[in-house]
Amino acid sequence: MPLRILIVDDHAEFRRHARRMLESDGHDVIGEAPDSASAVERARALRPDVVLLDVNLPDGSGLQIVDRLCPPGSSGPAIVLTSTRAERDLEPLLRRSHARGFIPKQELSGSRIQELAG
Amino acid sequence: MGAVTSTSSYPLRAEHAVARALAESEDPDAAPSKLLAAIGQALDWPMGTFWEAPQRWDDAMRCVETWHTVGQALSDFAAATRNTRLTLGEGLPGRVWASGAPAWLPDAASDPNFPRGEAAARAGLRAAFCFPVRSRGRVLGAIEFFDRQRREPNDELLATMTTLGGQIGQFVDRRRAEEALLDSEELTRAMLEAALDGVVTIDEVGRILNFNPAAERIFGCDRQDVVGLDMAEVIIPPSLRERHRQGFARYLQTGEGRLLDRRIEIVGLRSDGTEFPVELTITRIQVHGPPRFTGYLRDITDRKRAEAELKASRARIVEAADSERRRIERNLHDGAQQQLVWIGYGLRSARAALESDTPAAVAALDEAIEGLAQAAEDLRELARGIHPAVLTEGGLEPALTMLAERCSTPVAVRIPSDARYPEATETAAYFLVSEALTNVARHSGATRAELTVRREGDTVIVELTDDGRGGAEAGSGSGLRGLQDRVSAVGGTLTVQSPPGQGTVIRAELPCA
Repeated sequence: MPLRILIVDDHAEFRRHARRMLESDGHDVIGEAPDSASAVERARALRPDVVLLDVNLPDGSGLQIVDRLCPPGSSGPAIVLTSTRAERDLEPLLRRSHARGFIPKQELSGSRIQELAG
Repeated sequence: MGAVTSTSSYPLRAEHAVARALAESEDPDAAPSKLLAAIGQALDWPMGTFWEAPQRWDDAMRCVETWHTVGQALSDFAAATRNTRLTLGEGLPGRVWASGAPAWLPDAASDPNFPRGEAAARAGLRAAFCFPVRSRGRVLGAIEFFDRQRREPNDELLATMTTLGGQIGQFVDRRRAEEALLDSEELTRAMLEAALDGVVTIDEVGRILNFNPAAERIFGCDRQDVVGLDMAEVIIPPSLRERHRQGFARYLQTGEGRLLDRRIEIVGLRSDGTEFPVELTITRIQVHGPPRFTGYLRDITDRKRAEAELKASRARIVEAADSERRRIERNLHDGAQQQLVWIGYGLRSARAALESDTPAAVAALDEAIEGLAQAAEDLRELARGIHPAVLTEGGLEPALTMLAERCSTPVAVRIPSDARYPEATETAAYFLVSEALTNVARHSGATRAELTVRREGDTVIVELTDDGRGGAEAGSGSGLRGLQDRVSAVGGTLTVQSPPGQGTVIRAELPCA
């Protein structure tokens, strides 16, 4: 079953490539956002199943808006964090987050998102 | 004068004369001539000489003083005597020096051991006696007298003279000791005058007793203005005075001084009110009476400044290395690393489209191929920024030529080819030129520049001249600071001439031994 995905990343190139790859894997990329402020606003408007959220955003770490995108206990979207950096490099930060999970950008695929959010 | 009848009163008169001569002799240099005159007149002998014995037994005695009654013949003999040198045992004085005992010659001219015999004969001198000037068992010299008649030895006279010789010896000894003391005091004073360190002496209540010229220079005040003043008021800043006084009082009470005999760094006060860092050592001088203290002071403003500059430069070098590492990490992350991620996505898309949508798969593969080329180029750029391969492989000439060719301002290059220098020198020269050319292109407004490299002995000289607007300053926050650090780090020197409106000359001298 295709998931409705919002991609949050400051790199336009990344968004373009990721969109094409996720769509070729059968998902619907319903929107993109380049920073935290627009990410929160798009998530409210579009109500995606999954927010693919870059850990490093120009107006503050992506980690800081996890709870605003999906308040703990609510039935908001599944937040999937991603980064070029390895999981072990970010491990202490990821552990404290309420996100659904983390996928390194190298390993990103439709099926990995499906595993975490499905 | 009744010379014949009064023979027995000779000795007494001589004793009195010597006592008076010694007592009245304020100028020690005049004492020998006064003594000779006093004895000669008392004895009524017309000629006397004073001989000094050398410190070493194998040196010669020499005559340091003569006295005689008026007459050309006696003058001639005096001159001959002054020109005579006598070794141990030689002549009349030499004999006395050797034996330490007085001697008498009834007729000197005919004595076989009397080198001045002919001169004595010409002067009409016959009888002679000589007695030692002794002190503490040592013969310091000898005193010799002559008469115009032949005379048989007078033992009583010789005995008296020998006693007098002892008194004269003590006098000479004391004067010598006093002179030595004066010499050493003068030496000490000269040392204080010439010292590069400030030397300040204070008494037990802290009043200045002495203030040497170096202290005058360091604190900017005159000795005569500060001697007698409370030292704390003169050279200690107001904020530290109370602590100084407490410490001083505690030392005087308990004898425990924390600052004594150690090198410490404190703050000094100049007469114009400015404060400056001082290295200070305080010692207590061992003299009789109340305590005296001497402080040895050195203005270490320059040293402090150099230390601060060194510290700042180290910090800048570490900071530059850190920011370089951040830049490399950022470059890798934003460049090749991202690129490879996207290529991965492209290949995944191509595989997904391979069977159902061949054109889409081909497009995705093409993009992946292009992305790989881009990633490879990114990595090459990055590697070049870390260390230029052309420098490692070919040395300064090709590396600097390449930098010059890439500069947007035309640069004429004069560099000897084939010359290789130590790696650190080449690296410093390369980054120096790289950063300097960046400045030329970005800030100078120059239309052309010239780069020369040449070797002079154990030094490589790198010079970059441009015709831009000038006005660059080495100390300012510009990139020049970084250049300075690079050059200093390999032990070189950097000079920048950049008068406003007249272009800039950057010259680095780098050791390459």
